[in-house]
Amino acid sequence: MENEIGRACALGLSFFGKTNRLISHELKNVLAIISETLGLIDELIELSETGMGLEQGKLRSLSESVIEEVERANAIIRNMNTFAHSVDEFVGEVDVGQSVQLVTDLCQLESAAKRMKLRLVDSEPCVLYTSRFFLENLIHHALFYSLNGVGPDNEIRVSLNSDDHGVRIVFTGIACNVIGEFPTRKGHLLARILGAEVSLNPAAGELTIALPKRMDETSTQNLTFKE
Amino acid sequence: MKVLLVDDEEKFVSRLAERLELRGFESDWATTSDEAFSKAASVKYDVAVLDVKMPHMSGIDIKKKLQQMAPDMKFIFVTGHGSPEDYCAGSREGFCYIIKPFKIETLVEKINQAMNV
Repeated sequence: MENEIGRACALGLSFFGKTNRLISHELKNVLAIISETLGLIDELIELSETGMGLEQGKLRSLSESVIEEVERANAIIRNMNTFAHSVDEFVGEVDVGQSVQLVTDLCQLESAAKRMKLRLVDSEPCVLYTSRFFLENLIHHALFYSLNGVGPDNEIRVSLNSDDHGVRIVFTGIACNVIGEFPTRKGHLLARILGAEVSLNPAAGELTIALPKRMDETSTQNLTFKE
Repeated sequence: MKVLLVDDEEKFVSRLAERLELRGFESDWATTSDEAFSKAASVKYDVAVLDVKMPHMSGIDIKKKLQQMAPDMKFIFVTGHGSPEDYCAGSREGFCYIIKPFKIETLVEKINQAMNV
């Protein structure tokens, strides 16, 4: 099991790095839009000083879009901060809905996902005692699997169901006949560590991750430092 | 000089096109590969400025198809990545490569250089 934890941590580092690259790429896109918009505003003002008319409506629209991009960047950075905090505590109480929403938002930064719809269906709060970071990594795998085989609606919907045993995260809208088996080896590893069961229902186009209320910490005890 | 700009961020590519127009370039823009191919089918562009990462088709694959349509077209790539791996991937194919955000003067310089090659 120690080897498995080591491999899962290596997977986690890769996930962390990839996500940060996505975030930095997206922020660069935002900066590029702000740069071009302000450059254009500047040039239109210069032209107006030479006698060319300045359309006030256009100027207002351009300046509003700068505000929109600042808000977009703010949302991305907020998610980046939330994601960074995923590793504060190795195992603890996790709001599953918040984790799903975070990973959904991060997945949408991928260029391939931008033209598809990812939606977390409204649900009651579901809290587990588990590894937030490994959970987010597993959700990420599941979302990417789903996005690679999205059905004709072009939308993946994620819903949560909880009972006394734990929480089920259900992904629907998948065209399973297109994409093959899940979980992958990486998904299997993460699921084992979380004590989760992953199942695919091709006929219904559904993928389900069933998580226990409390993760078995035996295998991860050596990963935390007691000061 | 006719320039085709291709990037999935409409606000970025439309404003860039407008700024190039103010500098005397005839500029069109597209936010998808299909749109780019459709425009290139009816207009003979001198230079295409392509985003490396597009949702359905990479900038390099878009370049390959545009090159088949217009063998004399020159290509410049823009990207928000800028990692050494991305730079090597672009440079291997001998393309000009600019990292976002960039000064418009840099793009103008690269367009002029591409046309003088």
